[in-house]
Amino acid sequence: MDTYDWLLFLHVTAAFLVLGGAVMAGIFNFAALQRERPSEIAVLFRLARVAVIAIGAGMVLTLGFGLWLVHHVGYGWGETWIVLSLVLWVLANALGGIGGGREKQTRELAERLAAEGDAPSQELSSRLHDPVWLALSWGSGVVILAILALMIWKPGA
Amino acid sequence: MMLALVRPDSWNFPLFLHVLGAIALAGSIGAVTVLAFAVRRRPQHGAVLSRVAFQTLIFGVVPAWIVMRVGAQLIEDKEFPGDKGPGWVDVGFVVSEPGLIVLIALGVLAWVSARRGGVGRASAAVAILAPVYLAALVVAWWAMSAKPGG
Repeated sequence: MDTYDWLLFLHVTAAFLVLGGAVMAGIFNFAALQRERPSEIAVLFRLARVAVIAIGAGMVLTLGFGLWLVHHVGYGWGETWIVLSLVLWVLANALGGIGGGREKQTRELAERLAAEGDAPSQELSSRLHDPVWLALSWGSGVVILAILALMIWKPGA
Repeated sequence: MMLALVRPDSWNFPLFLHVLGAIALAGSIGAVTVLAFAVRRRPQHGAVLSRVAFQTLIFGVVPAWIVMRVGAQLIEDKEFPGDKGPGWVDVGFVVSEPGLIVLIALGVLAWVSARRGGVGRASAAVAILAPVYLAALVVAWWAMSAKPGG
């Protein structure tokens, strides 16, 4: 295996961390949406933190190994698919960051309600089904998927 | 010279399908693994978590495996038509096909675990088998991306 093979493997592994982590987060969030008891919602949101760690590490590593690959292979830095991927990478981070902050507040509310009797709450349900939060979280996943498509089709290469 | 970077356009969609399926498979098996460990660590939520693990297997893992496998066949037919592919392709098939038997076993164990509220040997077996399958997927994506032996 030469340098290119190793870089590609590490870049793909990082992409698996990001997209696999996004799938995991989606599964835990979707499961939380189906529940009413705050303690159950809180435990599912706590599990989603594993996915957040995978996404965070993967985001940094995809960028690092991706830029290294561009340099190693000799792609042009101004090629459409590279510029678009970098813009979408920033956008995915921004959407995920804002969505993640709201998710943390929802988890803390669920934990507080669980400690105060664990009765279903309208406030918690409203937060879980908030269309802005859902759009931010799922939108971030769609943007990451678009980056994957760019990596395969490489428009402008 | 980077021959591996030059790919006919007609290969892109099958490759996208294959990678998408593989990523969804890894993510959903990752979720089953996390849930299986959580069932053991949080027995008070064992019933809910084991049910979510079983549902993830049925509605996440199985469709993802099908998409991954269909994509693999489509791209193999295009890349190595009427020919036996190189060794790294075989690694993928070795993981995906016997892996299906592991997934069926995992599905049965997850179902038993969910029926018993996350208590018993079945839930322990899910917590062992799911990470083993995830490790096999890591070997497959190493073979697919690094292409050892060309």
